[in-house]
Amino acid sequence: MQTAVQPADGPHRTKSFEPLLVLDDIRKNYGAIEALKGISFSIGKGEVVALLGDNGAGKSTLVKIIAGGLEPTSGTMLFEGREFLAKSPAEAKAAGIETVYQDLSLATNVDVVANFFMGRELTKRVLGIPVLDEKAMESVVAKAMASAGTKIPSLRTKVEHLSGGQRQAIELNRFVHWGGKLVLLDEPFAALGVEQTRRGLEMIRQVASQGIGVVIITHIMQQAFQVADRIVVIRQGVVAGDVARRETSPDAVVAMITGETLAGAGPAG
Amino acid sequence: MHPSTRRSLEFVLDNLVWFMLLFVLMVFSALVPNYFQPGIFANIIEASSVLGVMSIGLALVIIAGHMDLSVESVAALSAMAVGILFCSAGIGMGVQLEPDWLAVPVSLIISLAVGGAIGALNGLLIVRLKMNAFIVTLASYIWVRGIVLAISGGRSAQDLAPVIRWFGVQRLLGLPLTAWIAITCFVVFSVILGKTRFGRHLIMIGGNENAAFRAGIKVDRILMTSFILAGAIAALAGWLLAIRTSGATANLGMGLLFNAFAAVVIGGVSLKGGVGALPGVYAGVLLLSAINTAINLMGLPATSTQVIHGLLVLAAVLLDTLKLSIRQKLA
Repeated sequence: MQTAVQPADGPHRTKSFEPLLVLDDIRKNYGAIEALKGISFSIGKGEVVALLGDNGAGKSTLVKIIAGGLEPTSGTMLFEGREFLAKSPAEAKAAGIETVYQDLSLATNVDVVANFFMGRELTKRVLGIPVLDEKAMESVVAKAMASAGTKIPSLRTKVEHLSGGQRQAIELNRFVHWGGKLVLLDEPFAALGVEQTRRGLEMIRQVASQGIGVVIITHIMQQAFQVADRIVVIRQGVVAGDVARRETSPDAVVAMITGETLAGAGPAG
Repeated sequence: MHPSTRRSLEFVLDNLVWFMLLFVLMVFSALVPNYFQPGIFANIIEASSVLGVMSIGLALVIIAGHMDLSVESVAALSAMAVGILFCSAGIGMGVQLEPDWLAVPVSLIISLAVGGAIGALNGLLIVRLKMNAFIVTLASYIWVRGIVLAISGGRSAQDLAPVIRWFGVQRLLGLPLTAWIAITCFVVFSVILGKTRFGRHLIMIGGNENAAFRAGIKVDRILMTSFILAGAIAALAGWLLAIRTSGATANLGMGLLFNAFAAVVIGGVSLKGGVGALPGVYAGVLLLSAINTAINLMGLPATSTQVIHGLLVLAAVLLDTLKLSIRQKLA
C-alpha cells in the first residue's frame, strides 16, 4: 500500500521521512464543477507543509476534506498508515486532526486554563460533589505552556484580553497537549503584527519538532519560505508543485501558482 | 496599563454591583429617616426572596446566551396551582393530607414539576427546533399567564394551609425561612455555576457556543438543562410567592419579570451571554429591594416605584454597555 502512493511523495525526501497523512487522488465535484481533480501528496511526521495557491484553487476544499468538514467525491486518505476518512470534524479531531481557525475554538469570556481544558475539566470531590480542580488544571497548563516556551502573563487572564498571537499559542499548545497529530492552520497570521507573526512561526517549528504534522495555508510567500519544509502548490484543483523549500525559490513558486511553468512540479493529476 | 491597575479595575467592574449596593445603603441610611436599623435590613432581604429566586433561573439562561421571558408567568402558575390545591378559601380546594405536613413536599413537587415541564417545552422548541428563544419564551409568557387566568377564572385563592405558611412565619436569626431558602438557592447555584463542570460549560457556551461544541461539550443537553432549571426555579419562586401572599390571585407577580431582568443586568450579567455570576445577581436583587424600601419609608406614592424601576432598568442596560466599552479599552 505504501509503495502504491510513494510516487506522490516526490523525489525530495530525506531518508527519515515517515508519512503521517497520505492523500491519494482526492477528487471533489460540485455538480459539473470539478473543484479538486485528483490531489495526491503526503505530509510527514514533524513536517511543515505550506499549501499555496490562488483564490479558488481548491486549498480550502482540500483542507475541509482532511479535517472532516467535507466528504470527497472519490480518493483515499491514509492516516498513520491506515485508511482514514473523517465524516465529521469531531471524528477528525478524535483521530488527532484539527483545523485551528483564529478565535473559532476559544471561549474568550473565560480564562486560559478554562479554555485549555474546555470539555475535559478535571474535578475533585468536595463533600462528595465533583467540583473543578482549578489548581491541578492550572499547573498542567503552566507546564504545557512552559515546555512550549509560550509566555502568557497570567493563566487566569480572560482570553479576550490576550493578543491574537497569544490566542493562537493557546490553541496550538492545547492541540499538542491533547494528543493532536496533524494540525491545519488556515491563514494563521492574517491578523497578526510582525513580531507576533515571527513568534507564531517559531511556535510552528516548535510544534513540528515534537513530531506533529503541520499544514499552513497562506498567501504570503515569505512566511511559507520562513517556516515550511515543503511547499505544495494547488492550481485549478491539481497539485501544480510539490517541492522541498531548499530546492526552490519564491519566483519558481509564483510561477507554479500562476501556471507559467510546471518546473519542479510533482505529479499534476 | 499596569497589570495591578488592570486587576483592581477588573475587580471593581466584576463586583461593581456590591459597591453600588453599599453606596446606596449608606446614602439611604444617612438621608432617609429610620432607614438605618436591623429590622429594615432584614426586611430588605425578606422582601427580595421571591425576586431573588426567580432571578437565578433567568440569570442561568442569559449567561448561557439565551433568554427566558416566561419565568414570571411560570411563577404565577406555580403559585396558583399551590393556591388552588392547598388554600381553604376562595377558589382553594383545601386539600387535606394525612399527616398534614405532607402538603409541603407535595406542593413543592407539583410546583417544580409544572415549572420544569414548561421549561422543558421552552428548551425543546429552542434547542431542538432552533426557534428563537425570545419569541418562544414570549409566547410562553403569554400562554402560561392565560392558563393562570383560565384555571382561576379570574378569582383568587386565600388562606394557604398553615403547614406551608409556616415557612413564611418561622424565623431563624431574624429572617423568615423563605428568605433562607432564597439565600440557600443563591449559594447552591453560585457553586454550581462557578465550581462545577456544568457551570463552566454553561459559561463557555454563552461565550462561544461553536467552540464549546467543537470541544466536545454536549451543548444541546446543557442548554436544555438550563431551560428546565429556569422553569423549575421560577416555580420555586412562585411557591414562595404563594406563601408570602398566603394564596394566589390571577394577576399575582405581574411585573416581576422586569424586576428580575433589572436585577440580573444590574447584577453584572451581560445580555450578550457568557458574562456574570450569581452573587452579583443577588446584590442586584438586594439593591432593588433597598430602593423599594427607601421609597416606602419616604412615603412616596407607590406609583413612583414603577417609574423608578423603569429608569433603573434603563440605567442597568446603559451600565452594561458602559462596562463593555471599559473592558474593551482595558483589553
